[in-house]
Amino acid sequence: MSAVLEKAPPAERADEQRRSWAAVLALALFEARKLLLRLPVLAMFVLYAAWIGWTMRDAWTTYPALQDVDRATQTGPLLPALAVLLCANQAVLRSRRQDTDRHFDVLVLEPWRRTVAFALSVVPAAALTALLVAAQFTWGVLAPGSVGHGSVGELLVGPLTVLLAGTAGVLLARVVKSPFAAPMLLVLAFFSILFLGAVPGDSNGSATRWLVPVIGDASSKTLPSDLLGRPAVWHALYLVGLALTLALAAVLVNGGRTKTVAAALVVAVGLGTWGAVGQAAKVSKATTDARVLATLNPAKVQSCARHGNSTYCAFPEWVPRTGTWAEVTDHVQSLAGGTAAQEKLLVRQRVEARYGMDGDGAIEPSTVPYQVTVGTRWGGPRVPEFAAAVSSVLVMGSEKATGSLCDGRMVTIMWLALGWQSDPLTQLRAVRLDDSVSGSAIVLSPTNPMSMTTQQTDVVRELLTAGRNKVAPAVKAHWAELTAPKVTTAKVAELLGVKAPAGADKCE
Amino acid sequence: MRVTTRVLGQLARPVLRALPWRALGAGAAAGLLLAALPRLLSDDPDPWTALLLLRGAALAFALGLTFLLDDPARQVTVAVPTRRMLRAALRTALVAPLAALWWTAVVLLIPAQIRPPIGALTLEAAAAAVVALAASATAVRLTDESEPGQRVAIALLATSMAAALLFPEHWGLFAAPKDKWWAPGHDHWAFVLAGAALVWTACGPEPVRRRRLRLTPS
Repeated sequence: MSAVLEKAPPAERADEQRRSWAAVLALALFEARKLLLRLPVLAMFVLYAAWIGWTMRDAWTTYPALQDVDRATQTGPLLPALAVLLCANQAVLRSRRQDTDRHFDVLVLEPWRRTVAFALSVVPAAALTALLVAAQFTWGVLAPGSVGHGSVGELLVGPLTVLLAGTAGVLLARVVKSPFAAPMLLVLAFFSILFLGAVPGDSNGSATRWLVPVIGDASSKTLPSDLLGRPAVWHALYLVGLALTLALAAVLVNGGRTKTVAAALVVAVGLGTWGAVGQAAKVSKATTDARVLATLNPAKVQSCARHGNSTYCAFPEWVPRTGTWAEVTDHVQSLAGGTAAQEKLLVRQRVEARYGMDGDGAIEPSTVPYQVTVGTRWGGPRVPEFAAAVSSVLVMGSEKATGSLCDGRMVTIMWLALGWQSDPLTQLRAVRLDDSVSGSAIVLSPTNPMSMTTQQTDVVRELLTAGRNKVAPAVKAHWAELTAPKVTTAKVAELLGVKAPAGADKCE
Repeated sequence: MRVTTRVLGQLARPVLRALPWRALGAGAAAGLLLAALPRLLSDDPDPWTALLLLRGAALAFALGLTFLLDDPARQVTVAVPTRRMLRAALRTALVAPLAALWWTAVVLLIPAQIRPPIGALTLEAAAAAVVALAASATAVRLTDESEPGQRVAIALLATSMAAALLFPEHWGLFAAPKDKWWAPGHDHWAFVLAGAALVWTACGPEPVRRRRLRLTPS
């Protein structure tokens, strides 16, 4: 600021113009530095960085899909956005609070140029957010086993939210001069938006839904990136238009009524409206068709790869992961006996994409013999769930047949699925819905869940603690009896040499 | 004691005039508007939104209260013989009945069938209000600023938003009535209230020495 004060008024008009823009730049840099060093802004950026670390802490073991990682970058920047809005607002009001407004009359810099500088001063905060968003996304890209494609439109939402918040703070200070307006309006807006969001409305293709900066999804599943149907680029365009509109409106109300400003405002409003109209459009016919095709007839769009005996078909983005699936299949199959040990499996990736991200649907079990379903997620409990699906198909012949399963074969299925793991009891806990290792429970799988009785659980737990080397030969030796229909749990226990459970089996 | 009472009686009118009515009024109005939303807009309101809006209303009023100790003439009033503690207490005492009245109105605006437990919510609102007062008293105590209200409001708003987002669930500060953390959460609110009241009292008196901490003007 002192740099501006010291400059003598230049004589020539062109020179004056150039100098006043240099002064705008100097003021913008000064204010940007000050804004970034304000305690609330600093604290919120630190919190935001910590939040990134927290959300990405297990990215290295959860095999992220990049079309999910890009959307996961959007909520964090709301923290710095809040602080930037309030502090930018406070910075514009500073001269009023300290009663230095009237001194500006003697400066070469007109008030509206000062507003330009204030609007520019929030750009570095947005740039810093962009850096942090890029870091978070890069972390996801570098994570082993990450698949899919991120969208630039989704990644831009975070930084643009901060930019929008900053320009909103500047505009607010130029329209309402009281120091309490910004916090009050922010609370009012925040809670009314939450309230309006909670009131059930027409969520399907609602045009107003996309008007807020960050839009979440009803579903948390992972879809191939071309089936998401989110108007990400339109939304980014809308946010750019809105931020520019707010900044230029602030300049305009502050006396910058030049033709350039007016023209730029018209362009900004046009951009914002264009984006708003674009994002309000319904999901395109091509995407809807692709969703139906991917759900009902995935073979048309998938590529297949052969690993060992079995074939693995996946949506193109997941093809690099087929090797990981093959390892699990091979482990499970190596424990099986009889013909099941050499069976040629077809592992097919399936999704329920017909509702997009607006709703979830269960995947129906496949009726094709020796076809196993695998989902779009991997890592954590998804591994034993897939292993359970493989072993159930090896024992029962198809996924559909597993639905009516209610006898001792469940023990064999669970032992095949978990017996090869290094910590099978932890995996047993993970694959069961209630995270237990005793009592009856539902066992999750990519399609329909299976159920374990208390007795079966006891036998499986005994087998898993007995160790693989002891049980594996017995399983191979008695394979035909173990997989015979209507075999009792007690009989299975006897064949495998563990204590027979007390009480009769009863499916729930 | 009698002297104090007389002084307070004389001070009441000028202090009443000097109160930051616009900020307090804006906070109260924002709170009332939020509380009126279920009656205005929703045919089928649910208890969770009512809880949310009551908390929003309490926050809005607390933000108004952060401006309570703003005194544009601070550099002059610092020299008056009545201690700052008394003047601040008088300000609070003048606002307290209005705040109680306002909170009653806010609670009544929420339809009875979705109203959350009132005792617990009143504790939360009181804690928020006292935290706001304590924060502004701290700002007055530690800085030379005559109007620290905006700074404090920003800090309070940012802190509360970050707290709602980041505090572990088992602290229960932002729990819903049916959560298992609701009861311990309100013990925590009581601690917050007590702690804030302590800070507030501690920051009441004018320091004997000259203040050292000097925040750069924002």
